[in-house]
Amino acid sequence: MSAMGDPMRVRVVLPRTARAELAAVQAVEDLGQHVAFPRDTLAEVKLAVVEACLNALEYGAGDVVVEFAVHLKNGGPWLEVAVVDHGPGFNPSRVPTPALEEKLRARRKRGWGIELMRHLMDEVEISSRPGYTKVRMIRRWGGK
Amino acid sequence: METFELKLAEQRGSVAVLEVAGYINNEGGEAIAKEAKRLVDDGYRSLLFDLRATRIINSIGISLLLEVLERLLEVRGTLAFCSLTPSIAKTFQIMGLAQYARIFPDRGEALQGLDSAQ
Repeated sequence: MSAMGDPMRVRVVLPRTARAELAAVQAVEDLGQHVAFPRDTLAEVKLAVVEACLNALEYGAGDVVVEFAVHLKNGGPWLEVAVVDHGPGFNPSRVPTPALEEKLRARRKRGWGIELMRHLMDEVEISSRPGYTKVRMIRRWGGK
Repeated sequence: METFELKLAEQRGSVAVLEVAGYINNEGGEAIAKEAKRLVDDGYRSLLFDLRATRIINSIGISLLLEVLERLLEVRGTLAFCSLTPSIAKTFQIMGLAQYARIFPDRGEALQGLDSAQ
């Protein structure tokens, strides 16, 4: 951690292997040891990060990069996570909000990832175009 | 890290208790769905999943739990969970799963609640 209070940054490139998303989970755990984030908050961040990574690994191409920054200034501590992939991209406004009643009747029961991210993190911002998708999420100490 | 394990821990009347440990992802969810189908086919009507040793679940694993729920609803059975971490409890609440599944703080209360419902 910088004495000047600059963000502490960690960058993880996910391997294209089974359970690759757990490498990002481990990074959250490691960062949590440096910052006084409550364990339950970190557990929620881990679930959101898993979802962002799964989407990037499934729909993206090339390297999936996860960047973490722990900010201590500007009302910190707060944790910023960015998951970047190089897939075809998508229009986030066209992703339907899942409803359990409908999912129980449907053959395809998936499609919860973005909804979970939005509820588990304080901010979720998705920018996507062909070749570049970035999911940026923020969780503040004491948020949610 | 987070090695998945599934164990049929207890059988009481039509209630079967499954202990789940580790990461519930696609593989874990498929193992759960397969075992749940077998138990329902064998006549069990309440499946209690003890998630005391599970700290991470993903949406693919959850979608497979929904298959278990769908199957139990078809036979008028009950899906129940106990010993959830706060983050997994929150995830289930976000999805609205608490409307369809019973959620208990621990196994003792769960078995009591499921027994009295039979």
